[in-house]
Amino acid sequence: MITLTASAREKMAEFLATEEPGQAIRIAIAGRMKGAFEYDIAMVAEDERADDDTVIDAGAFKVYIDARSAPNLKGATVDYLESGNEAGFKLDNPNPLWSDPVALAVQKVLDEEVNPGVASHGGVVTLLDVQADTVYVALGGGCQGCGMASVTLKQGIEASIKKSVPSIAKVLDTTDHATGSNPYYQPSKGGASPFDA
Amino acid sequence: MRRILLLMTSNTYRARAFLAAAESLGVAVVVGTDKAQVLAAANPAGNLTLDFHVPERGAERVLAYAREHPIAAVVAADDEGVLLAAYVSAALGLASSPVEAIAAARNKRLGRERHAAAGLKVPRYWTAAVAEDARELARRVRYPCVLKPLALSASRGVIRANDEDEFRAAHRRLLAILAERELAKLPGTLASEILIESFIPGFEVSLEGLMSEGRLRVLALFDKPDPLDGPFFEETIYVTPSRHGAEVVAAIAATTQDAVAALGLTHGPIHAELRVNAAGVWPLEIAPRSIGGLCARSLLFTSSAGDALVSLEELILRQALGEDVSGYARERRPSGVMMIPIPRAGLLAEVKGLDAAAEVPGVDDLSITVPRGQRLVPLPEGSRYLGFIFAHAETAAEVEAALRRAHANLEIVISPDPEVAGPAPC
Repeated sequence: MITLTASAREKMAEFLATEEPGQAIRIAIAGRMKGAFEYDIAMVAEDERADDDTVIDAGAFKVYIDARSAPNLKGATVDYLESGNEAGFKLDNPNPLWSDPVALAVQKVLDEEVNPGVASHGGVVTLLDVQADTVYVALGGGCQGCGMASVTLKQGIEASIKKSVPSIAKVLDTTDHATGSNPYYQPSKGGASPFDA
Repeated sequence: MRRILLLMTSNTYRARAFLAAAESLGVAVVVGTDKAQVLAAANPAGNLTLDFHVPERGAERVLAYAREHPIAAVVAADDEGVLLAAYVSAALGLASSPVEAIAAARNKRLGRERHAAAGLKVPRYWTAAVAEDARELARRVRYPCVLKPLALSASRGVIRANDEDEFRAAHRRLLAILAERELAKLPGTLASEILIESFIPGFEVSLEGLMSEGRLRVLALFDKPDPLDGPFFEETIYVTPSRHGAEVVAAIAATTQDAVAALGLTHGPIHAELRVNAAGVWPLEIAPRSIGGLCARSLLFTSSAGDALVSLEELILRQALGEDVSGYARERRPSGVMMIPIPRAGLLAEVKGLDAAAEVPGVDDLSITVPRGQRLVPLPEGSRYLGFIFAHAETAAEVEAALRRAHANLEIVISPDPEVAGPAPC
């Protein structure tokens, strides 16, 4: 399944030693951003193991991997690196970002139709996940916090994806728009657009 | 599938709510905006770029579109789209207030004229071209007075003056606002005339309603517990239902009905601002649209069958699509919204205390709508809300208290704006 290097194993054991007994490590794919997997490595209680988790016996402790993450972590190596002021776990993952053909088709739409379009407003749309008939995306750059983000999502992104990938029923935006720092269209009480000022 | 045309400016606060309402109703949507949308080419049936300032031209474009894609209803999310919506509705034979009535409601001078002719309480008012000499005007008017643009909403450009000096300073500031590039495009005399009227003391309320066949149905009456006496008129807390007595509430509703009738409005959403004092009820503004900003989030409605709560936007779309919505009423629990005041000009560095504010009992949600690093401009020049706090409670007083407690937890950190030397004199 996955390989833990000696340094990763040692560091995880060190973390677990600071906690009450009965803890395990959970490794999960947290998302996909900017063309790469994002990972979540956390301590959890051993009794939080799900029935369909993959369990890896690391000797002094166990590692849980949820069923959705497991295929995308097959063959991955978890290492712990320290360099200068930086330290942390690093995953070397040989798996492609998307293996599901629907997700691949959605990514193609984003790459070839959507992102070249929103780039003209300084925006970027990232595919986070595809679950059944629902696509999850995050809007960044000029799209994050934009007053027209909902229009771009429903009348642009969703329409484009549905046209090319008919099995998709809806596209959901998971963006925290409140943290957008440079939205293209900024909401206003009316009249002048501050963007144009 | 029926198709609805949603008209909204590119800087609207309402896009998400109206699109969600349309999705909930399962209707197709074409969004008409004043600026081209970034992915419009990918879905030409779902996006139209329209001229909001010349509604006849915008309507022609919609009619050409409608020949290929029939439109069942037209709804404008903001002030800027209401006239175009009326033109399109008239051309397509859809239910709407007459174009002339919408035009009158968009122009404070015409509104005052119609209300005065109908015998409603109207402050003494004067209109003046922006080119008129401020000193001469200052000598002519009575004090205290309030200077207003003819078309802007949410208190933009509204300034009280107590004497000639204050009048001249207020006049300078208002003219500077009307000279902004986008405002200069306003049709007719909306950017070339101003309204000056006597200040009316009293308390203010806001009424949200739906018109059908000339009859107004009150959906909500909001109290505004913070005094609005100037020099600027920043809206803060709205709480519904009103805590004023039944007689006052009835008088407000009756005056609003008379005011919309005087304008000739017959159909669709109404947002009214009224002032009340011992002399009676004074209609200050009757807008043929629903409440602005994100304030509509404080309103939820349920049908007589007790179905799930629906938004104001959904109610408006249902009516526009021809559904009888008379069975819907506002939920039982009092609710309210606070438009977070902008304390001073500068760049928004941070808003601290958001978690503590959100945890105040009764607070439903809190939304900061200006990104970090962006410019904050207070009234009368400012055109953006800093954010909104929403609350529900068992009583209107508790709603107001929850909003105030939540706001007290917030620390708005503002850094100096290097491009602004300091506030303009007033």
